[in-house]
Amino acid sequence: MHRFTGSDRALALLILALAGCGFLILVGPVIVVLVTSFTSSRALQFPPPGFTLQWYRELFDPARSAQIHIAAGNSLMVAVLTAVVATSLATAAALAITRSRAGWARVAEGGFMAPLVLPGIAFGLASLMFFSWLRQPPSLALLVAGHAMIAAPFALRTVGASAAGLDPALLESSAALGAGPWRTFRRVTLPLILPGVAAGAFLAFVSSLDNVPVSLFLASAQTDMLPIRMWGMMETALDVRVAAASGVLVAVAFVLLLAMDRAVGLARRMSG
Amino acid sequence: MTEFRRRHLLGAAMAGAALPFGGARAQGTTMTAAVYPGGWDEALRDVLAPRLREQGITVAFEPLFAVDQIAKARAARGNPPFDVFVLDPGPRVSGIDFGLFETFDPAKLSNLGQLPPGQADAQGAAVAAQVVGIAYNPTKVPKPKGWADLFKPEYVSKLGLTGFGTTFGTISLIEMAKALGGSVENMDPLFAELRRIRPSVAAVGQPAAMPGMFQQGQIDVMYTNTYTVTLLRSRGVNIDFAVPETGAAAFMTTMHIAKGSRNIDAAYKYIDAMISTPVQAALSQAPYFFVPVNKDVTPGADVPMRSISEIGNFVTHDWAKINPVRPQWIQRFNREMAG
Amino acid sequence: MTENGVWRLALPLALAQMLFFVAPLLLLAATSFATDENLRAWSLRAWRDALGDDFNIASVINTLRLGALAVLATAVFAVPLALVHMAAGPTLRRVILIAAVLPLLTSVVVRTFAWIVILGREGVINATLQGLGITSAPVPLLQTEHGLILALTQIEMPLMLLPLLAALARIDPALLDASASLGGSLFRTLRKVVLPMALPGLIAGATLVFASAATAFISQGVIGGGRLNYLPAQVWQQAMVVFDWPLAAALAITLMGSVLVVAAALSLLGAKARHA
Repeated sequence: MHRFTGSDRALALLILALAGCGFLILVGPVIVVLVTSFTSSRALQFPPPGFTLQWYRELFDPARSAQIHIAAGNSLMVAVLTAVVATSLATAAALAITRSRAGWARVAEGGFMAPLVLPGIAFGLASLMFFSWLRQPPSLALLVAGHAMIAAPFALRTVGASAAGLDPALLESSAALGAGPWRTFRRVTLPLILPGVAAGAFLAFVSSLDNVPVSLFLASAQTDMLPIRMWGMMETALDVRVAAASGVLVAVAFVLLLAMDRAVGLARRMSG
Repeated sequence: MTEFRRRHLLGAAMAGAALPFGGARAQGTTMTAAVYPGGWDEALRDVLAPRLREQGITVAFEPLFAVDQIAKARAARGNPPFDVFVLDPGPRVSGIDFGLFETFDPAKLSNLGQLPPGQADAQGAAVAAQVVGIAYNPTKVPKPKGWADLFKPEYVSKLGLTGFGTTFGTISLIEMAKALGGSVENMDPLFAELRRIRPSVAAVGQPAAMPGMFQQGQIDVMYTNTYTVTLLRSRGVNIDFAVPETGAAAFMTTMHIAKGSRNIDAAYKYIDAMISTPVQAALSQAPYFFVPVNKDVTPGADVPMRSISEIGNFVTHDWAKINPVRPQWIQRFNREMAG
Repeated sequence: MTENGVWRLALPLALAQMLFFVAPLLLLAATSFATDENLRAWSLRAWRDALGDDFNIASVINTLRLGALAVLATAVFAVPLALVHMAAGPTLRRVILIAAVLPLLTSVVVRTFAWIVILGREGVINATLQGLGITSAPVPLLQTEHGLILALTQIEMPLMLLPLLAALARIDPALLDASASLGGSLFRTLRKVVLPMALPGLIAGATLVFASAATAFISQGVIGGGRLNYLPAQVWQQAMVVFDWPLAAALAITLMGSVLVVAAALSLLGAKARHA
């Protein structure tokens, strides 16, 4: 992609233009949220009449936002557990599906997607009915299981896309060299599918973090969840702290990404 | 996961906040109450919960809208996820129909005398009033006189419509039907007008989105309760409440004890404390702005009544009549709006 | 593990789904054939109401159409973004990756507010159009299908972009250089080298976007509004306001079934692409 001819240049320009528009669409609304989170008005307002850090201070205030902190803690814990459970289950299944040419794999792949397309309200209601019938009241474990059902298809798809290009010969040669299946997975397969696994874990994490309908039914007074709390703050009072909470998430993701970059870079330098 | 590890994991994130996961259960009684998310949740945690702690009762709150409470209690089939409901009239009637409530004995309330007559019965007790009318942006549109004004061209293009999904939406639409010559038995005039204004209405949608659209100028007129108007204005939104010429509508928010509750005594104490004079007085002030049901408490300045005893002067509705026909109205609203 | 034993890896997910998804789903299916949720008597009433009604059929078609348009719109922008990511240096790559995940980090609650700000009558787009003199009066965007699709393009783009980036990450840059040095045009390189590698990612993304956009209840309701008619809102109303659970169950299963048919078709396409 170095020496451009005329038509190459036109195509490259088109790609760049669309990518630019795509970038704008991705970040535009997020910028609106971030700018709004610094508003000096007492309700969500855009454009803000002035700027202040007040809403971040209030969001971190241990007394005034205690309930938000508890809900955030619950939501984060459920999201982490969901990501771990969903990604592990889905990675194994994705490897099975991509490595099998049999017809069952196609059927299974479609079937595994089903939780994603059942409306959340219906799934939440049905889960609560079913587990009430088994005399299992809403609990943390049930909540994680419910979230993991919705999250697993994300991981299944992204891992599947990464594993699709996996060369079977590579795995066979690893096995031929005497590596056990676990070792082959860790040393050969996992590094190759890591982008898909990471993307899947991330999608699972955020899908859980932002889930309203399943939490509505499977959460209890003991597991107050953040998105439900934020709905209330938004609906009744246009509370600016909901925008500040998004600001915090974006900042955390930024720092995490930079830290990961550093760690990867460091590891590369140390091994090289 | 053991209780210990769970708390260990959470510890860092929660900085020692009173953890409802076990822990506090040792002394006294722990009960669970459903509460509307947002303002109600904040208010009841701040004002009501400390009162009960004095009596050795720890309250865990579960934030759920009224319809969500009914759906959740119904799905749980006799294992109520909370001890006390807080509901508007529509969901209240559904709850009665589905047999979700324990029989309520008003005589167990020490503060019964503070309620106007008839506001506690075998189902539950009223804990707050809601006054519904028209909300408008005084910097953008003139004050509307009545429900029929909303269908005039100067308001239609700025009107945010919500359907029959909520209690306040339902009674507002009924009042509009009456202003247009219809009634609860005959909603046709309303639907004919809705069909006419459909293309030019500024927004049709979920109540949750309306405050945001109002603040951003997408809509300048909507129907809602005084509570929302006062709360939004206290946060700097340009919003005023207009009492329609046919009168503002009012209804009671009620609390009920869940059938199968294992904390019935605590639940009575909770409802009793809720209607007590000090709690009602605190809740009627900023930043909560509840309309009190206690006869000894004066409502806030925005509420067009000086005492709950005037509730008889307001337009009220018979929900036992409304609930059976509401599903048809909902369907018809969907169809008219989807064109 | 041999080709024959590999299916065992799918077992844990299958068992978990049996208990936590299929069992509740069966209860839901049973409810749709019952007179009420206590399953005391059986009836086809809910299914007659669900499928015998043109309004609901129109909802199904609208919902599937919305999913398809969202897939198209996200692909139009995500593919070029993924290509630029592939060709870019480390800094630009990082910027694109951050942008790709940003929509997921703003909660659905605030996102609805952001779209009111952008699409509203006095919103960012209308202010820009009027400022540039392109239009004289506000153009309706909020509560229209175009507005909703634009919003869904942002909201769902990560689901398209992340699998694409993951799939393209496997392309060996040497391969691209080789194709270019052999005199292959950019178009030829994209078609012969990049597209085959991108296809599994594209199809994975399409499946996720389709499913997610078709069931995006909150965005449909707030940004689309009550004048657009999609199935998830019907499910919610029947379940939570009308308390007609059999009908809610029948509608939910109808939605799931129709979206799954499309997802299965995409999955078949994906399998073809993979083993081609």
